[in-house]
Amino acid sequence: MNYTSQNQKDKKEMLDTIGIRDVDELFDVIPKDLLKVRELNVAGGKTEQELLSYFSDIASKNKVLTSFRGAGVYDHFVPSLVGEIIGRSEFWTAYTPYQAEASQGTLQMIFEYQSLICALTGLDTSNASLYDAATAVAEAALLALRVSKKNKILISSGLHPEYMQVVKTYLKNSVAELVFLDICCDGTVEKESLDSNLDKNTAAVIIQSPNYFGIVEDMQTLSIISKKENSLFVAVINPLSLGVFKTPGEYNADIAVGEGQVLGSFMNMGGSTFGFMVVKKALEWKMPGRIVGQTIDKHGNRGFVLTLQSREQHVRREKATSNICTNASLNALAGCVFLSGWGDCGFKKLAEINISKARYAFNKIKSLEGFKPKFGKDKVFFNEFVIETQKDVNRINDVLLENKILGPLDLSTHCSTLTALGLPETQENFKNCLLFCVTEQRTKCEIDELARILYKI
Amino acid sequence: MKKLLNELSTECCPAYSLESDVGIDAQVPENLKRSLSFNLPNVAESDLLRHFTNLSRKNYALSTTFYPLGSCTMKYNPLINERIAKFDNFTKLHPYQNLETIQGVLEIMYGLEKDLCEISGMDCFSLQQAAGAHGEFASLLIIAKYFKSIKQKRTKIIVPDSAHGTNSASAVFAGFEIVPLKSESNGSILPEKLKEILTPEIAAIMLTVPNTLGTFEKNIPEISRIVHENGSLLYYDGANLNAVIGVVRPGDMGFDIMHINLHKTFSTPHGGGGPGSGPVGVKVFLEPFLPVPRIERKGTEFILNYEKPESIGRLKAFLGNFSVILKAYVYIKSLGAKGLKNVSEQAVLNANYMLARFRDKINVPAGNRCMHEFVLAPKALYKNSVRTLDIAKRLLDCGYYAPTVYFPLIVEEAIMIEPTETESKETLDAFVDTLIKIIVDETLLDPQKLKDAPVNTNVGRLNEVEAARNPVLRWK
Repeated sequence: MNYTSQNQKDKKEMLDTIGIRDVDELFDVIPKDLLKVRELNVAGGKTEQELLSYFSDIASKNKVLTSFRGAGVYDHFVPSLVGEIIGRSEFWTAYTPYQAEASQGTLQMIFEYQSLICALTGLDTSNASLYDAATAVAEAALLALRVSKKNKILISSGLHPEYMQVVKTYLKNSVAELVFLDICCDGTVEKESLDSNLDKNTAAVIIQSPNYFGIVEDMQTLSIISKKENSLFVAVINPLSLGVFKTPGEYNADIAVGEGQVLGSFMNMGGSTFGFMVVKKALEWKMPGRIVGQTIDKHGNRGFVLTLQSREQHVRREKATSNICTNASLNALAGCVFLSGWGDCGFKKLAEINISKARYAFNKIKSLEGFKPKFGKDKVFFNEFVIETQKDVNRINDVLLENKILGPLDLSTHCSTLTALGLPETQENFKNCLLFCVTEQRTKCEIDELARILYKI
Repeated sequence: MKKLLNELSTECCPAYSLESDVGIDAQVPENLKRSLSFNLPNVAESDLLRHFTNLSRKNYALSTTFYPLGSCTMKYNPLINERIAKFDNFTKLHPYQNLETIQGVLEIMYGLEKDLCEISGMDCFSLQQAAGAHGEFASLLIIAKYFKSIKQKRTKIIVPDSAHGTNSASAVFAGFEIVPLKSESNGSILPEKLKEILTPEIAAIMLTVPNTLGTFEKNIPEISRIVHENGSLLYYDGANLNAVIGVVRPGDMGFDIMHINLHKTFSTPHGGGGPGSGPVGVKVFLEPFLPVPRIERKGTEFILNYEKPESIGRLKAFLGNFSVILKAYVYIKSLGAKGLKNVSEQAVLNANYMLARFRDKINVPAGNRCMHEFVLAPKALYKNSVRTLDIAKRLLDCGYYAPTVYFPLIVEEAIMIEPTETESKETLDAFVDTLIKIIVDETLLDPQKLKDAPVNTNVGRLNEVEAARNPVLRWK
């Protein structure tokens, strides 16, 4: 392919205007011994038709499966409207909206997105998006350190292990101390562990709910404990769960962050998705990332601009609240279109269907011989639940795969990967444990089939 | 006036609805239950379609207009990239699928890493980072870890005053102190000046080549020599790589570590501010420090290797922005070596042609030649208190997105133009004519027109000061 548009005549005229005879002369400024002589060894030059067939072949080496796996990325329904809108080239081929008057589409969209995230979470101020949930958690930790001038961060061991790893990486060269809070035998964070580790030096307490094991934490109580030392309470949430469960605003969280993939993005191998961050008003000037505000033009008409920019790197350089520039705007647009179309009742029902289907599967599986709930039968969960089995875990997933099913996540192997990275030992105790995920996408028929196969193994 | 979503909300049936085939069993204990009202909009699908479609029409975009935004490389985003990225066998994959069911994904990532190595002259790449600034941050963590591993205490990074703001922010983010370096009026670095600030505490210097004034750093061999003699590393900010693909390679110039913006050089769309992808490339001695997991080939199979004890760790969940990585790989396969070199040649030709047409009329601080972009310094021509901001807004009225303005900071009232290889001579001519007419004629004859601009956009000039003074950041 060739995506340039000059013909030979144009080129000649352009060279004449510049005052040179050959394109090579354009690179005369480069020291001779740096100019590469050899042509790059990069295969390509395919036509559009050839590209389609080449990439269809590669794509066929991937398998699309019926997914009962979650752990941070979920197979949810994506309404047709989402694809239609994010497919508008006026959105996807625009840049960050620096020229506000020529970017009102993107700017109003971000303003609506911010409003929807606030409505959903009950907090005051949202930014325009971050890369993903993992980096959003890390940015929340940095925000807390910056605001509080304290240096200890308490993190629930029920936080997604990859988010923990990213927090560790982000805080590597800071003086902050990370303390991981234990998980009790019922799968929730141990309140005593929080109580005993909390001190006046604690900048923030970071709790995920539903946690990595799918269990909904008692955020209200954890928040109250955290506030005893005036620590910031950071909630890592699944936004879909807020259709039913208590919001960060209601339990007095200071910061809420999470993964936006569940709001209208396909799984896409886990990227691209978007991370969201929403904070109490008092923290908005310290927040990382773009923020859009409403204003008026000179005729008094409503319009939107990037605002609070003196927090940002292009204005403040090394004094910026973050280095983030490009974020995940198009995925946030998907989130915006997704959240616009349910209405209150519809959104609540969406969450209820997720709970109902997961419960239906849970009840089916726990009644099978050789499968029992890891955390008791009464814990409240959202999409996911952990089952301990006496059967061969590898064989379970192999057989499911033969049936084109992506089975539950084997927590024991996953946890050994973590241990290799020096992450908290509490997650090691998951031998023979399976993390199942059921969203509204799974039909009764598929769940019954899953149970039937498990029964036969 | 166009309504916001919450103002469109009525008692109608909302756009989406779902039913459960297992009934509803969703009672939860009171202490965990939401009691806050939602206030989500209730809008019919047809109205939502109109709402968002009409919003999209309020954007200037690459698909509707020339977008000469300097340092942003707003090149054509090929449609075939988008089409392939929408294949079910890419979009409907879970990152924790068994490796044998995602071999196609790993093959693409591995292939892109290899191609980026060849293009840049680096030895290894990591594709995990989600944006350019994320790549910078990862690189600086790698630099820190490297010096730690050889037990040297180096706490400072040199950043030229012509650099992108992200350089300084990323370095501080990674725990370094900034040592600023004053560049010459054409943005270049004098080795003598650099020498004066090269102390044993300097871990690295971050350079953008070509620099933000569009000048190639002629002294790069000398700079590389003195930086390395000092035991420091040389970092390449790949924001301007579009100027030199197939021409020179950062690895050959002496750079030890770099990042690339796939959403600039390799044609993936900006999406109005992301998602992007910021791969990091290193010379082999820095390989142990790259983020995990690493994609490796074992016979005919691709695997993920987490056993990298010296790695800086993980920068993002899962494997990076795969959808962006895929589009960049499609682009490379569409062009190949010849096509890629042609990209840089056309990009540099376009920029020099524009510069040649401007140079007798408007001051160009970096001189008569440039690489893929250039900066105008029109201040001396401004009459009647006209400013660059007014020029930018007037350009919007003429149907163009504005160039980057007030950057780089070392040029007063800067206008930074990057045409990319995409644009035709006809487009470039029309733009040059328009900008000269505005700067040379209109500032003198009709300054009020510039002050009043824009008038052809959906809104007039917006009050940014008011927006920051009384922030309204969501629906009332």
